Amino acid sequence: MMLQSHSRFLLQTLLTRAQNLDKAVELDYQWIEFDDVRYHVQVTMKNPSILLLSVSLPNPPPEAMSFDGLPLGAIEAIKTAYGTGFQILDPPRDGFSLTLKLNFSKLRPDEAYRNSLLTKLASIREVVMGAPLKIILRHLASRTVAPELDRLVAIMHRPNETFFLVPQADKVTVAFPMRFKDSVDTILATSFLKQFVEARRAASLSSAPSCSWSPTAPHELEGAPKETLSANAGFVTFVIMPRHVEGEKLDRTVWNLSTFHAYVSYHVKCSEGFMHTRMRRRVESMIQALDQAKPLEKTRSMNNKSFKRLVSFVTNVFRHSFTILSFVSSKSLSFLFAPSSQGLNDVNSK
Amino acid sequence: MDPTSRPAVVIDNGTGYTKMGFAGNVEPCFILPTVVASNESFLSQPKSSLKGSWAAQHNAGVAADMDFFIGDEALTKSRSSSTYNLRYPIEHGQVEDWDAMERYWQQCVFNYLRCDPEDHYFLLTESPLTPPESREYTGEILFETFNVPGLYIAVNSVLALAAGYTTSKCEMTGVVVDVGDGATRVVPVAEGYVIGSCIKTIPIAGKDVSLFIQQLMRERGENIPPEDSFDVARKVKELYCYTCSDIVKEFNKHDKEPGKYIKQWKGVKPKTGAPYTCDVGYERFLGPEVFFNPEIYSNDFTTSLPAVIDKCIQSAPIDTRRALYKNIVLSGGSTMFKDFGRRLQRDLKKIVDARVLANNARTGGEITSQPVEVNVVSHPVQKFAVWFGGSVLSSTPEFFASCRTKEEYEECGASICRTNPVFKGMY
Repeated sequence: MMLQSHSRFLLQTLLTRAQNLDKAVELDYQWIEFDDVRYHVQVTMKNPSILLLSVSLPNPPPEAMSFDGLPLGAIEAIKTAYGTGFQILDPPRDGFSLTLKLNFSKLRPDEAYRNSLLTKLASIREVVMGAPLKIILRHLASRTVAPELDRLVAIMHRPNETFFLVPQADKVTVAFPMRFKDSVDTILATSFLKQFVEARRAASLSSAPSCSWSPTAPHELEGAPKETLSANAGFVTFVIMPRHVEGEKLDRTVWNLSTFHAYVSYHVKCSEGFMHTRMRRRVESMIQALDQAKPLEKTRSMNNKSFKRLVSFVTNVFRHSFTILSFVSSKSLSFLFAPSSQGLNDVNSK
Repeated sequence: MDPTSRPAVVIDNGTGYTKMGFAGNVEPCFILPTVVASNESFLSQPKSSLKGSWAAQHNAGVAADMDFFIGDEALTKSRSSSTYNLRYPIEHGQVEDWDAMERYWQQCVFNYLRCDPEDHYFLLTESPLTPPESREYTGEILFETFNVPGLYIAVNSVLALAAGYTTSKCEMTGVVVDVGDGATRVVPVAEGYVIGSCIKTIPIAGKDVSLFIQQLMRERGENIPPEDSFDVARKVKELYCYTCSDIVKEFNKHDKEPGKYIKQWKGVKPKTGAPYTCDVGYERFLGPEVFFNPEIYSNDFTTSLPAVIDKCIQSAPIDTRRALYKNIVLSGGSTMFKDFGRRLQRDLKKIVDARVLANNARTGGEITSQPVEVNVVSHPVQKFAVWFGGSVLSSTPEFFASCRTKEEYEECGASICRTNPVFKGMY
């Protein structure tokens, strides 16, 4: 399952509003998405056809490209994507980096056009945060390098974390230092990423970008500041070719690369959930076996009390210790991750 | 950034619908049916060898274990294709299927709310009288799989009371009448704690009202396509039903002025696409009447809702009874019928006054008691009153201190989730 580029709740709010324009309502929603992106939507009773959408991004670390609180090229990207129906308010509302004013009454009544425009508006995060990446990749599509860029470019994708790009005329190398807070997550992510790289070797994925994993920083990242290079789950490197960013694939590639860490984190959590399911099933089958064994205990000649205590101790151990650390072995990990890495076909393929 | 500076995530899992959103908002972000549609075609393979089941899963399709949907998408998918099985994780307010529940939460957090669970404190709800083990399992799932920094599991009746707060009045004592989709419960709460022995359940709920309306429309011979008739009945219930004050008078009103009372329902036949209309007449007030006169619907259960509420309060400790009568709070989607609160208050006051009069007459009129004040509180957020109460409470600063944190979980184990204290911000 891939994270879709539009925010589900934002799209729902916009579509409901567009369909019920004749009703005057008061809306004031605030919510947060992954990686600390805050949204705020406001509609007042006085002007029911005006909707104010505010977005706030986390503060970029010092090495990332930014301009006035927003990623480089964000304003231009918004103007290109949304045309003239929107007004960017300057200064943005308190506590937010960007505020857009949308006038519903000025939208064309054509439903298909309106829906596609609102879907694009709901993907505002992709447009704003992916702007610098898009600039570099667009240059790749035309086989040039953007002017005035260092050899090594750092772009923020999570609060205080960046990933690195080495743009060249014929390919762009993208390197992600992967960091996880929880120790269990780190182990699972490391195995997952190793399998991810192996799965790429399947014949059907030969046109996907080549990727590799290494526990230490790859040589392309020489020259980057030391503290940005600490990663407890290794480094993943992709090599993006021009054919991956032609035409419509550009948007998808930008989104997939921007949310790579969230993608891995989601899969790690799903794997934990899957393991819980298997553990529960195993416990149930063991309890069934124990339940069947109980009547025989009375006829056993050995000391019944200690056997029963042992049985109940074992049952309790299985029932109460679902913690993954005691059950994980590398073999079962590689088995478990092989099927889920098949699901990454659609990440790497065009 | 600190999880306590971000709004908490409030998820209210009910038998029929789940309401989820962020604290500080007036409405939940999403209201979805509590159903999971999963692709289980690979599970039927024997689990004899590890390699065997991996190949089977691969044959079932790419990432079949992650191929599942929840909510409305689940219902549409299961109707359109047969590879998906529907599973309802919650029955009668209790979680029965933990696998489905874990998947449901996964989709809620990652696909719908799209938040990182490691960044937010979570507020979940449960119904009263859930066994403590189920709180432990919930805590395990959330702390182990999702790595949430903090968790608080609240009883949904207490949250419904919190939804009725105004700036001047914060009553933690009252009766919560929760009429949901699956079950109706009358729960007395005193000082923030549920009086477990006095909880009364009624087997009539939103689904039964829809079934009743469907039955009435079918008996009258309305031409609704049979596969849609339950859906149509449900939508008619939500759009056109109201509570009347007296059935006989209402029948007369309908007969005298049909043009004013009878509404039209326009629909489209799913198979042929042809539009059709049907009349909606007596169902408009007979539907909600089921709560006040259950004998029109079924012969098994004949106690009306006001009588059940009265019985419940009379079984509560005597010192709480007046306070309970004063604060009867409605919650749940099926209390949204027009004038439901007023009719309930009127009927209940009749029962109470009759009893007080009888008591006075028994003493020969020498000892009279003060009249009992009956007050049914209704407010515009009844449909998701529990969620709203959760949102209000998790925005108070004391909430974060009373959550169970991940450090506590790792130190003491899942048993800490069994207790969730009532905290200062609640009253």
